[in-house]
Amino acid sequence: MNESTLFLITFVLYIIAAFFYLVFLFSKKESSAKTGLSVVTIGFFVHTLALIWRTIESGHAPFTNMYESLSFLAWSGALAYIIIEYKYKIRKAGPFMMLILISIVALASSPLMPKEAMPLIPALQSYWLWLHVSITLLGEAFFAVAFVTSIMYLVADSREKRGIASESAISSEKLDSISYRCIAVGFPLFTLGGLVFGMVWAYKAWGSYWSWDPKETWSLITWFVFALYLHTRIVMEWKGRRSALIAIIGFLAALFTYFGVNYLLAGLHSYA
Amino acid sequence: MKSITNFFKSIKLAIFLIIIITIASVVGTLIPQLRSAEEYAARYGQISELLMRLEITDLYHSWWFVALLILFSLNILVCTLTRLSSKFIRAFRPNLTFETHTLSAAKIQRKFKKSWSLDKSERELKKELRSAHYRIREERKDVAIHLLARKKILGLFGSDIVHLGLLIILIGGIISGFGGFRTNINISEGEIVTILNADFKLQLDKFETEYYPNGSVKDWKSTLTIIEDESPRLTKTIEVNHPLTYKGYVFYQNTVGWDWRNPTLEIWTTKTSDPSASIKTFLQLGEKGIWEEESLEFKVLQFVPDFIIDRNQVRTRSLEPNNPAAFIEVYEGEKKISSGWIFANFPDIAQMHSEEEANYKVVLKDIQAAQYSGIQMSKDPGVNFIWVGCGFLMLGLFIAFYLPPRDIRFILKDSDGKTEIFAAGRTVKSKLALEEEFNKIMNSLRSSE
Repeated sequence: MNESTLFLITFVLYIIAAFFYLVFLFSKKESSAKTGLSVVTIGFFVHTLALIWRTIESGHAPFTNMYESLSFLAWSGALAYIIIEYKYKIRKAGPFMMLILISIVALASSPLMPKEAMPLIPALQSYWLWLHVSITLLGEAFFAVAFVTSIMYLVADSREKRGIASESAISSEKLDSISYRCIAVGFPLFTLGGLVFGMVWAYKAWGSYWSWDPKETWSLITWFVFALYLHTRIVMEWKGRRSALIAIIGFLAALFTYFGVNYLLAGLHSYA
Repeated sequence: MKSITNFFKSIKLAIFLIIIITIASVVGTLIPQLRSAEEYAARYGQISELLMRLEITDLYHSWWFVALLILFSLNILVCTLTRLSSKFIRAFRPNLTFETHTLSAAKIQRKFKKSWSLDKSERELKKELRSAHYRIREERKDVAIHLLARKKILGLFGSDIVHLGLLIILIGGIISGFGGFRTNINISEGEIVTILNADFKLQLDKFETEYYPNGSVKDWKSTLTIIEDESPRLTKTIEVNHPLTYKGYVFYQNTVGWDWRNPTLEIWTTKTSDPSASIKTFLQLGEKGIWEEESLEFKVLQFVPDFIIDRNQVRTRSLEPNNPAAFIEVYEGEKKISSGWIFANFPDIAQMHSEEEANYKVVLKDIQAAQYSGIQMSKDPGVNFIWVGCGFLMLGLFIAFYLPPRDIRFILKDSDGKTEIFAAGRTVKSKLALEEEFNKIMNSLRSSE
């Protein structure tokens, strides 16, 4: 038994959960969605063990390279999804969310990602690593759930307008409200972890709280997109379609901040 | 004046500015910043000049980007202030003179009759509301009672606190931009450096690099002493992530480098015809080494840590010892028998130019150089504004999202000893939650006897 075995078990459990959710999507049997949720929850606990194992083995926070960071992102996504699902019972988000989780885990296990735990370079030896990365990724995980519910909103909305929405479907209004709830959790987390803690750590490690490094700038861009979401929604009372589109753009910006910046733009954040 | 205020208080301006600043920020990450004119010319051709004239090559410090940020700050300020006065009235002097038809027009509303007297209805309703943690204001008009039940009123001001935080951060940013500076100090062990514009000096007592078992760097540690008025004031060992602060100046462990001004070179010379005849010499630049038995002399004239030939000139590509090379001359008595570059990494390709060179093989075996500690010094008078601003920002976000204000307005009307009850709930951010609570209160009121 070791970390990679646990990670593999997690992967398998997420796939099984996705299978149950897919069955639910076509058979419309509530029971298989519930089974799916239980399996994700078990997967999440195994994943938690894997992360703890990794932390003990490597002696540092489990997000210092792309493999670890992806694994932690998937873990955050699972957590965010489980919370939202237990609270709002949006069963139909399950298959899509599982698809996202599985792609992240698959990407993490791909041979492109070096898996060995390397000793920490001097710049990363700080407790701010824990605070900055974990809270940011948790915030981004909630953006991911909002992304899924926003896409579902667009589908539900067009069905309702054409009068072909089924009785059992979640109303578009509820999806819109759940998207907002996810952003209401994700936005403060992202602000705290990504921007505030990021600035504090940058000041402690690099001597400057803001350097317009591409990753910093893209975090700010992501933050601006969600600020736009909140202002158009609360002050201008935009709802529904336009709100959902902004939430989708916001998640894509967050995704680019997390992923694209590392591979496409050079900067200070060269580690992960 | 009024039209200026109207311009700045418009939410449309805010949306417009957010979008423009976002797009500009994206552009700044796509076009590499602060590169040389040649690089831009090579990359963008004819439009490179335009890019530079519009300061897109240093976008985040360009006059127009800064102007956008200032405009945005003014917009935030005016928006917040104009909304604040009406919010204060709403919070502290709320209007209780609503009519039944406005209540009936609300989205969350209920209307029913109770067989209680007006007084009993009021009592029961208040009890119900208090148990749900509502605070109540009321106004009695002959046969009707107006009630305003509210909770989480502080939530009204969440966004204002966020905006206050942002303004403080922006002010901090401006102060940092004008009053702050950064510079790199390369300092060797024992060296004392005078700090520009400061009345103290910095001395490096000790520098060490710690390694992991696999050989990669674990940490750099510099023990620094602040010297003021010729006497030591403070000694601290700094490492990455643990800087030293003195009188507003912060010293960061940044990097490490080699002091190549005076390296010690280990040179091995061997006789080609007799490999057992050889000598090791340790030379510094300009120093002479002597091999008495063979009456040979060597002299090191030049050293580069990272040899490269650029436009027929020897240069060093970096300050890392990637390809150390030394230019040496070999004399036999008074006669120079060879000269040329020898390479530590490539002992077999010495570039000697003489007939006698074949008799001896000269190898650059090792290089010793003092390491210097790369310290970044910064002074940033704006930084405390940033932390205070961040505090307000987070506090405001928490209040705005987790204390959403809600209120329920009631009109109780006496109708022949019974009571007619009109109720309407109002909230911006928690409609579903309020609706749930509203229904619970109404149902429990209706069902109680």
